[in-house]
Amino acid sequence: MSSGVIDGTAVLPERISRFPFPFPSDSYRYSTNVEPALKTVVTEAGAWGGRLLDIDEHYRHELTERDAVLTRDPTRLQVLPHMRPAVWDAISTLLPIMAAEHPDAMSFDRDGNACRWQNTLQDLDLEFTLGDDGSLPVEPLRFLGSQIQDDIALLDQREGALWLDAGLVTFAADWSFGFDVGMKFLEVHGPVPRVHQEQIITRAQQFLLRLQPGEKYRRANWTMTVDRRLDTSTETYPQWARDRATVAGDPALPDRLHLRVEVQHLIRLPHSGAVLFLVRTHLLSLSDIARVPAWRERLGRVLAELPEDMAEYKGISRYRSAASAWLLGT
Amino acid sequence: MCPIAMAPAAGTGPEAGFRGVIRVTFGTAAVPAAEGDAGMAGHDARFDAADREALASLIAVLEQARVGVRLVLAGPPADVAAAAAAAAACGLLEEEVTLLANESGRRLVFCAHCRTANTTVQGVGSEVDCEGCATTLAFSGHFSRRIGGYLGFAAHAEEAA
Amino acid sequence: MTATALQAKVHPAVEGGLLLEVADLSVQTASVTSITFTDPAGTALPGYVPGSHLVVQYGDGANAYSLTGSGRHPSEYTISVLRVDDGAGGSLAMHRLAVGDLVRVSHPRSAFAPVATARHHLLIAAGIGITPMLSHARAAAERDSEATLVYVYRPGQGAHVQEARELLGPALAECTDRGSFQEELTRRLTDQKLGTHLYVCGPAAFMDTVLARARELGWPQGRLHSEPFGAAELDQGEPFTVNLARSGVTLEVPAGVSLLEALENAGKGVPNMCRKGVCGECYLPVLRGAPLHRDLYLSEQEKSANTTMMCCVSRSLDQELELDL
Ligand code: HEM
Ligand code: FES
Ligand SMILES: [Zn+2]
Repeated sequence: MSSGVIDGTAVLPERISRFPFPFPSDSYRYSTNVEPALKTVVTEAGAWGGRLLDIDEHYRHELTERDAVLTRDPTRLQVLPHMRPAVWDAISTLLPIMAAEHPDAMSFDRDGNACRWQNTLQDLDLEFTLGDDGSLPVEPLRFLGSQIQDDIALLDQREGALWLDAGLVTFAADWSFGFDVGMKFLEVHGPVPRVHQEQIITRAQQFLLRLQPGEKYRRANWTMTVDRRLDTSTETYPQWARDRATVAGDPALPDRLHLRVEVQHLIRLPHSGAVLFLVRTHLLSLSDIARVPAWRERLGRVLAELPEDMAEYKGISRYRSAASAWLLGT
Repeated sequence: MCPIAMAPAAGTGPEAGFRGVIRVTFGTAAVPAAEGDAGMAGHDARFDAADREALASLIAVLEQARVGVRLVLAGPPADVAAAAAAAAACGLLEEEVTLLANESGRRLVFCAHCRTANTTVQGVGSEVDCEGCATTLAFSGHFSRRIGGYLGFAAHAEEAA
Repeated sequence: MTATALQAKVHPAVEGGLLLEVADLSVQTASVTSITFTDPAGTALPGYVPGSHLVVQYGDGANAYSLTGSGRHPSEYTISVLRVDDGAGGSLAMHRLAVGDLVRVSHPRSAFAPVATARHHLLIAAGIGITPMLSHARAAAERDSEATLVYVYRPGQGAHVQEARELLGPALAECTDRGSFQEELTRRLTDQKLGTHLYVCGPAAFMDTVLARARELGWPQGRLHSEPFGAAELDQGEPFTVNLARSGVTLEVPAGVSLLEALENAGKGVPNMCRKGVCGECYLPVLRGAPLHRDLYLSEQEKSANTTMMCCVSRSLDQELELDL
């Protein structure tokens, strides 16, 4: 793990040194920005990307938050009946990876369908049988979602398309998984401006349709969020919408406003053939971003330059100039 | 999964093993003219609306049918969408179903906040007051074939109370 | 045989794949032999989607064969090979393998997957086309979903017949003559509940007949799944030469190596991201020659202008390309 570089005199904390800062230039446009997973990316503040399943200081807090969201609103988890095998495929794919990536904290053993999973971060030592829903303490996808920080979506491939037929999404960035479940990949992206004319989503679909079992890719997406609010789903929009209007005039804006980066992994599962889509959300306040001068300037410029339709879609148009002005010191 | 079907009323359905065209109309829509199904056996049915009973009888017909069958649905958008969702659950593919929804007529707006399915004759881009939670919803163009309706979300939530 | 089974030069189609040991050989018929591969270290092999195939290297060549297992947590991979005496030599080489030989294989590739929402799988196989159907039938049994198999073979020459009987019981229909098959086919194609998907594998003419009959009887394309017998997408392309105009360097791009890789190997890195022809990062200006465009990024218009190419996937129609690099 990188320890971070020097900011004036202090070593940057991991939340900054490991942050997946997503902008390679001062202007941002949509593209089919997929790349092979697991490549380490060196940034001005440190590095990220060496692992598929990233665990950070927020691990326990975020999993508690996920559980609370699910208890309040069980529709954030849906598995259409034909996706049960894909869920088990995801479990038997991800737990061994997680154990291999975090050997100090986790271990996974498998003998046929009999598995043992140990996770010392949760004082968990569990024996279960692959394919047997009843052998887990909670339903299988909920269990997987209680071990990894990522939101999980599973897409079935049929009729030459990909269908969002299962998932556990508690930290949605302004969309409703419960509404979208059962849609085709292209329909899911219906509300996004530009990407359809620019063939970005059709190209992404072609890419995903051809993805072979075992292949692992990733991409990054970004938006902004007021406070460290993970559940910015459409369902709860009335609870957080006002913050979008008020934050611009709030002197605490640099601490309240966060760059929200989703590191998304795309994995073809070996046995079910489903596409596993993982969304790992990282939030970093503008104050923290400003501790890395290159980021401060770059984000300031990106926000100033972003076309209005994209800003409107991302829901940042009410405060992006205020954020940009603060970052650029203008 | 195909919902449990009610037995079709005697004498109303096509024979078991039917592989022709099933034409279903809702409300007062005209029975659609055959298109590309010339020479195929036909079965017509008309319902006032795609309510539980109508959908159950459609499902019963589909359960008896065999691969090769085609389905044509005509009527108000909400009814056509509901019947299409039932047909998909019975295993019909998109290419086996022709949707002929009226341009106007009732549509379903699904409230993202309380999950009420609101019926309205307004169109995409308008605002609809939710019958479940009284929120004024923005009627978006985001459509779910599984739900058979459009996404509605709080239209004025960012504005001062 | 052991010495020759492990070729020094890795075929591009199995690069990054697995090195496995022949663990078992079993004669199915006079011309069909099943070969079982395991990991020499005894570890479990990657799972695969039912209906997947494995590319196996022999000498300088490589062939694709269907895997016959269900693909769930396999400890071995089994293929069945029909000996073709006048073929390219792959099947003869496979038939010469002995227990203990080491063989290079690809990761399993999926191109004939079951439909998860299907309410019934109607499997139709002729001859050696039985192999992927065994995989489908096994997977269906494990998932507790419905499958029926119609298996056509010449009397006395059916591979895996006993296995199919045990797996499918009454859901197996065997046909050993053309007439009875035509009858069986029509009966099946007119009596499938909604949500049935048809899978066919066998000689090309056989598959054409089955698919044509299904279409005639109203089956839409989305319900028809066929695997061209033995064909695999070993799309490594032809070798070509590139001239880098600005640096005055000439490079050879061998079959199975992308232009991007050839440039990287020569220390001429090009910005890239997806390496799959979708992101648009790796474009190169073309000065002379016609690229063989294989990307999804450039528009048809841009492709026909032949002034840009995506070097991660595209190759050359001409012997030589000149690039502005
Ligand atoms: C290569 C793959 C993909 C690409 C290039 C891509 C691209 C995009 C882009 C550009 C946006 C707009 C984001 C923004 O402005 O903040 C977006 C939004 C979104 N993407 Fe993707 N995406 C990909 C894969 C996926 C997958 C597999 C899913 C499956 C669930 C997904 C679900 C979504 C959703 C739900 C939204 C929000 C749409 C809304 O506002 O309702 N994406 N995607
Ligand atoms: S690297 Fe993405 S198109 Fe070539
Ligand atoms: Zn409501």
